[in-house]
Amino acid sequence: MTVGLPAFLLLAALLFSLGLYGVTSKKSAVMVLMSLELMANAVNINLVAFSRFLTPEKMTGQVFAMFMMVVAAAEIGLGLALVIALYRQTKTVELDHINELRG
Amino acid sequence: MNILVAIPLIPALVFFLFFLLPRATRTKMLFLPIGAMAVSLVLSLMAFSTVFPGAEKLAEHGAQFTSYTIGVIGGVPLNISLRLDALAALMLLVVTIVGMAVQVYSLSYMKGEERIGWYYAVLSLFTAAMLTLVLAGDFLLFYMSWEVMGLCSYLLIGFWNTNDEARRASIKAFLTTRVGDVGFAIGLAYMWATVGSFDIPTVLGSAHTWGPGVATAIALLLFFGAMGKSAQFPLHIWLPDAMAGPTPASALIHAATMVAAGVFLVARSLPIFEASGVALQVVLIIGATTALLAASMGSVQHDIKKVLAYSTISQLGFMFMGLGTGNVSAGMFHLFTHAFFKSLLFLGAGSIIHSLHTQDMREMGGVGKSMKVTTVTFTVGTLALSGIMPFSGFFSKDLILDHLWREGHYVIYSVALASAFLTAFYMARLWFRVFSGTPRKAGHAHESDMKILSPMIVLALLSVLAGATTLVFGEFLGSETEWPSLVMGGASTIVALSGIGLGWALFGNGRDPEAVRARASKVYMIVTNRFFLDLVAEQYIAGGYNRLSEKVNWFDKKVINGIVNGVGVACRQAGTQLRRLQAGRVQVYQRLVVAAVLVLVLVAVLATGV
Repeated sequence: MTVGLPAFLLLAALLFSLGLYGVTSKKSAVMVLMSLELMANAVNINLVAFSRFLTPEKMTGQVFAMFMMVVAAAEIGLGLALVIALYRQTKTVELDHINELRG
Repeated sequence: MNILVAIPLIPALVFFLFFLLPRATRTKMLFLPIGAMAVSLVLSLMAFSTVFPGAEKLAEHGAQFTSYTIGVIGGVPLNISLRLDALAALMLLVVTIVGMAVQVYSLSYMKGEERIGWYYAVLSLFTAAMLTLVLAGDFLLFYMSWEVMGLCSYLLIGFWNTNDEARRASIKAFLTTRVGDVGFAIGLAYMWATVGSFDIPTVLGSAHTWGPGVATAIALLLFFGAMGKSAQFPLHIWLPDAMAGPTPASALIHAATMVAAGVFLVARSLPIFEASGVALQVVLIIGATTALLAASMGSVQHDIKKVLAYSTISQLGFMFMGLGTGNVSAGMFHLFTHAFFKSLLFLGAGSIIHSLHTQDMREMGGVGKSMKVTTVTFTVGTLALSGIMPFSGFFSKDLILDHLWREGHYVIYSVALASAFLTAFYMARLWFRVFSGTPRKAGHAHESDMKILSPMIVLALLSVLAGATTLVFGEFLGSETEWPSLVMGGASTIVALSGIGLGWALFGNGRDPEAVRARASKVYMIVTNRFFLDLVAEQYIAGGYNRLSEKVNWFDKKVINGIVNGVGVACRQAGTQLRRLQAGRVQVYQRLVVAAVLVLVLVAVLATGV
């Protein structure tokens, strides 16, 4: 049995949905950041899968995925720094309690 | 510089100079407007001498003429021009002589007035406008100076602007004359559409080719403007109220010159009226109605200036009757003599007011003993206005009556005679109440100074002498005039004498005027209320306008504002609802974004039909 493109896309979609669910519903800012990572990696899988199955002679998707990982690493570093700064300010990482943007 | 341009330009320059100067400097430089007036007077005399003795000389040399192009409309050049013909030369003399008298008189009458500089500035502007009007060679310039005069009239009536009555009178005058001016403006537009020119000789020359309908329409529209300016029924209501202004200004503007501009307009455009025929009848009827109504209203006034104001309205009606016979000289001769004796009467009234500090005749009396010069000159004016031989009013009024009779307007003739009777009556009433008897509430009068008396003496001389020019006058304007015939002159003299006799019987020797009122109470009531014309104007015209305004106001407040406010309220309500979404919780926003994206994807998918 060969594993085709749809399987990868399905996996990516599953991962993305899980991530999205986490981002919208987790209370802790740390969990939200982790869920964001899931979403980013779902995209990475998509990129690699499309690249592998549709244009195998080129490496565009893989290179993009490499870039994404670097950016995601930087992003998570920045995100955790923000969470620490937020914790120092408000003594909490619960997103429900942080509602300064209320109109 | 061309003499025609200089005559109106010099007073105009004085106005602009005074306009720029501060008040204190103006007050010290009153010699400027008087000097300018004197120069204009001399230049006008020179201009007159180039035209005199009239039609033949004009035909020989042609009229002096200056023209400027101020613009081009649709390829047609728009000219304004000054033209000196007999009619213009005559009016130049009237305006500058009366203007000069009034300016000298005002030096003393307005002395100590804080805004005297402004008063002289407006007088100068008025003189400039009136001189432009009489010299105007085209209807456009005529209309422009006509409106400037309206402005000056407004400014002078409301000169004492802290006085509520004066302020309201100035607005009433401005608005009422403006009603007439609208007619004038429409008439000019119609004229341009018909002839394509404003040039007076061109327009008048082609008048007989327009057809009776067009000629009647234009003539009546022009006459409507004249009715406003010359205070003819039913637009006469502003003139009595205009007496709230300074008396010398009333003498110049509301007796001698500006109110005569309407008569002048009709005299100028008489060929249009003749081409129509119907329009001449209208002029006759309006003139007769006004003359009779105003004379009767003048008979019950207690304010000395208001008697003279109604008298002016009535005499303007006489002038229109004269023009209504189709004869220029009949109307214009009365304008000419009336300018002198009526401004004399106003200046005389001013002299009395200046001395007694009241305008109410019930408080005056016995002035004759203490103010000799004023009494003599005023008496000359009274006799001239009443139409007693050999004063000028007799000749000019008789010319009008004569023409009315000869043209077969017997009804109008009898109305005119009745008006003449009332004229003599109210003047006798005024004279006996003010000059005879004993001093009443206002106390003893003292004679005014020479600055006030000398203009009056000059005008009194002119009022006596002007009648002698009857024949020369007719020739000058190019129409036949004769001395009044014995029958005609006799009839009008008897009427005038009986009017004076009635006045003497009722008011002579300080008799009690209350007894008269008791005997004719009903008539008295109607006439005192000015035939309810002011009331009608206020209630139904101004009142109707107010009610309409209220409706419009309601519409504006409820509907227009409702829409505007509704938009605002709707936005605010929407905002109140929407701000609940802005809970400040990032994840709620996130969910909304996700939901929105899902919806958009769904729409995209459905739209492409996949």
